[in-house]
Amino acid sequence: MIVTENLDIAYDQMVIVKQLNIEIPSHKITALVGANGSGKSTILKTMARLLKPKSGHVLLDGKAIHQLRTKEVAKQLAILPQNPTAPEGMTVTDLVTYGRFPHQRGFGSLTKQDKEVIEWAIEATGMKEFAHRPVDQLSGGQRQRAWIAMALAQETPILFLDEPTTFLDMAHQLEVLNLLEELHEKERRTIVMVVHDLNHASRYAHHMIAIKKGTVVKAGTPMEVMQPHIIEEVFGIQCDIIRDPRTGLPLCLPYALSRSKKEQVHHIG
Amino acid sequence: MNGVERRKNVRRFSILATFSVLILIVFVISMNTGFSRLSPLEVFQTLFGMGTEKQELILFEFRLPRIVISMLVGAGLAVSGCIMQGISRNALADPSILGISHGAGVMVVLYLSFFPTHLDVPVLFLPILAFFGSSLAAALVFGLSYEKHEGLLPTRLVLTGVAVAAGLSALMTVLSLRLSRELYQFVAAWLTGSIWGATWDYVLALLPWIVVLFAFVYYKALVLDVLSFGKNVATGLGASVSKEQVKLLAAAVGLASACVSVSGGIGFVGLIGPHLARRIIGPNHKYLLPASALAGALLLLTADTIGRTILQPSEIHAGIVVAIIGAPYFLYLLARSNH
Ligand SMILES: Nc1ncnc2c1ncn2[C@@H]1O[C@H](COP(=O)(O)OP(=O)(O)O)[C@@H](O)[C@H]1O
Ligand SMILES: [Mg+2]
Repeated sequence: MIVTENLDIAYDQMVIVKQLNIEIPSHKITALVGANGSGKSTILKTMARLLKPKSGHVLLDGKAIHQLRTKEVAKQLAILPQNPTAPEGMTVTDLVTYGRFPHQRGFGSLTKQDKEVIEWAIEATGMKEFAHRPVDQLSGGQRQRAWIAMALAQETPILFLDEPTTFLDMAHQLEVLNLLEELHEKERRTIVMVVHDLNHASRYAHHMIAIKKGTVVKAGTPMEVMQPHIIEEVFGIQCDIIRDPRTGLPLCLPYALSRSKKEQVHHIG
Repeated sequence: MNGVERRKNVRRFSILATFSVLILIVFVISMNTGFSRLSPLEVFQTLFGMGTEKQELILFEFRLPRIVISMLVGAGLAVSGCIMQGISRNALADPSILGISHGAGVMVVLYLSFFPTHLDVPVLFLPILAFFGSSLAAALVFGLSYEKHEGLLPTRLVLTGVAVAAGLSALMTVLSLRLSRELYQFVAAWLTGSIWGATWDYVLALLPWIVVLFAFVYYKALVLDVLSFGKNVATGLGASVSKEQVKLLAAAVGLASACVSVSGGIGFVGLIGPHLARRIIGPNHKYLLPASALAGALLLLTADTIGRTILQPSEIHAGIVVAIIGAPYFLYLLARSNH
């Protein structure tokens, strides 16, 4: 389990996140939602020890993650940051192979198990036909899946993904989300993802955390978080919440900007 | 998958072999050219101990050490550039563009202006002196381009480097004005990259640095691959990014200083060598590092050979020949990196 304790995160003097206390439940899918610039990536990166907090702790199974050996953390937790870039000319297979880095020593020859995991990750993300193509020559969606395959090859019980469905068309979005759901169901992996589509969050996540200006507005099940007044506070839009006829889960149907937002827009216009 | 891997390895091996054969060809040509002409037959005779005393002197005491030095310096600078490009994710990073060679230069000029008695600078001492100067320059340039949350900023690195290089160049010129005419000429030649230390002493001074540092960097090839994904991905994969960057940068600075201390400010080899190698062999450092070394050796050996022959009996410094090729190549890279 991952817990944050009174986390303050700042870029130089600019404090982005104040006194954050959240819990990431184990063996569940958690969705971080919030407007652009609300601090989702900052929080995710700090929980994955890519950023050091100004004060407070992130605890991974009770131990302060920033004090653990980074390579040991990498065996527990894989993170796909927003907009990663690969060196020119690197093929998909090569990229996915680096996912084995935390498990390799020194010069890094691959064991049979390494090779099996790499092959599995490429297949699971549907990248087999592109396995030997350079990453920089793929479409946005294919590239995203190649990076997900790299994170999968790390074979960690915990998986963080920052906007894994951005750049993807609808079919590929569902493909990625179904894959994450399958990883959760079959292997009980703990997954934390930043998603923009609230209905995807509702459909795939068991736990949602709604962030506004670096603080938690509401955390809980999709049923608890997907309420008109919460959505209005977090995103500044007015919406109806209806039940998905197929799954019974809440769906958000936005119909207007909230009043304060409207005034802002009028000022700009 | 295995079939593809095997084919890839065959391809990589052929590339490295081709580079080696090209080096061998230029090596033979270079042995045959120079102020006093020796025919290929005479060269071979001499190499196998059947030449005259004069032929032996020319080959073993003048040409061979110079050829070996060119190859070592070319390889060292190219590997140094390859490391800097890997850790900064900027294809334009190289020891001369980042002002690191200039740091070494200032140190050497400073030494000469305080101890100007003779040109016999202690040979073994020179790389250490140069290392001190280039470390200071590297600390300045990389320190100014480091941002706490994002790691090294590739664009700022090159801009800072260019500024520092210009400043140090000016400083070197000012310092050398105080020198005697003889020393001034030495510094001027040094600045344009003459391979001046062309004796076996210098080969011996240079060789251990190149071998040890290359071995260290090659051992870190996988880490270098991971670092070239940038700070976030590399940390996520479990690399201690800052620590590894500092170690690898120190190795790159060490290589550059050792080379520059015997060859002077040769630019562009650290830029063109790795770039050429990367285009041919790909971004995997296990193959890219040796390919860069070979490309750099080939490049500088060729440049030095051209410089010695084209305007006989006078010589053009190898650094100038490389710059004539390198400047347009740099502009081409710059134009390409804009999109
Ligand atoms: N490297 C950085 N330096 C300074 N400010 C940053 C940096 N990265 C993000 N920020 C700022 O932090 C805030 C939160 O950004 P981010 O976490 O990326 O939000 P989100 O992922 O929710 O869109 C924004 O105001 C952004 O401008
Ligand atoms: Mg973000």
